[in-house]
Amino acid sequence: MNPAEELKQLFPDSVVSVGLQIKKPLAIIKKEDLLNVAKKVKEMGFDNLSVITGIDYVDRFEVVYNFFSYTKKQNLVLKVILDHKNPEVASLASIWKVADWLERETYDLVGITFGGHPNLKRILLPDGWIGHPLQKDYDMNVEQFVTVGEDGEDIVSTDGTNLLRR
Amino acid sequence: MDPLTIDTTKIKMTKKQPVTALDKLNDTGLISTVLAAREREGLILFSTIDQVFNWARLSSLWPVTSGLACCAIEMMATAMAHHDVARFGMEIFRASPRQADLMFVAGTVTKRMAPRVKKLYEMMPDPKWVISVGSCANTGGPYHESYSVLKGVDLIIPVDVYIPGCPPRPEAWIYGIIQLREKIKNQGYGAKWGLNK
Repeated sequence: MNPAEELKQLFPDSVVSVGLQIKKPLAIIKKEDLLNVAKKVKEMGFDNLSVITGIDYVDRFEVVYNFFSYTKKQNLVLKVILDHKNPEVASLASIWKVADWLERETYDLVGITFGGHPNLKRILLPDGWIGHPLQKDYDMNVEQFVTVGEDGEDIVSTDGTNLLRR
Repeated sequence: MDPLTIDTTKIKMTKKQPVTALDKLNDTGLISTVLAAREREGLILFSTIDQVFNWARLSSLWPVTSGLACCAIEMMATAMAHHDVARFGMEIFRASPRQADLMFVAGTVTKRMAPRVKKLYEMMPDPKWVISVGSCANTGGPYHESYSVLKGVDLIIPVDVYIPGCPPRPEAWIYGIIQLREKIKNQGYGAKWGLNK
């Protein structure tokens, strides 16, 4: 029995469906119960949260968590489906420390809000950036430029003042 | 006629002994300088300084140590013994832009890196030159449609030589360096008045 099916037995109400994703056991979780399931996943020995992915499917957002267990040499994929208007899900930073930065990256580029995150701000783009670039409705026609202010802070502008040659 | 059958004993090499100062200068072999001296006597010193400056500048171009992406790996390969950029007097990659007069923009110029690249260029003392290396620095390359990459480093700083490639091989780097040396050789009043030929 693979870990996704184990989860289905333990949380029959929380796990929507199980399957495989690129030969890895996959479990789709209700977004309200993610924190409870994740605590159990940690107890099952999945000590490494490899990557968090956010995907914009136009009608919905999906967040994919890839886990790996160094003791059991097993993979597990958890997936939550969020509605497109208000994509919010509980943060896993209290369980896996690495989730702090991974969730900040997902917030920065895909725009998914993680409730209960200790420091949810942009990690790659500067603070003043407009929009989340990996969303499908991101406006690519408006080019944004970054300049450095007097105190070393990043200033975002759409006209490239102080940066482009005249 | 077969060149081996020419009787070289019948050909006499005659050499004029230098008498005047102009003849002595002629004897040194600086042909362009001598021609300049014959044509415009008053300008000879000026064009000579130009030539000497250009020669000094192109013979010891010191690049600033800065690499942005994978092109910088090729820059290291160019600097190493196999391709040996020390032949051009460029082996000293300076750690400070204050001591450098050439910048390789080697790699992807992201939007956040762009003001830093510009600052690095502005910190370099004149005279300074820029070589843009690789598709990313030239035009944005594979990231041209991206939100986070500048579409060519020439949007922010003037570029003297573009080297295409992704990344360019060290041979292409050396060809670009030779092009820049040609450019430096032909700058200034000497070249403008046709004296450097």
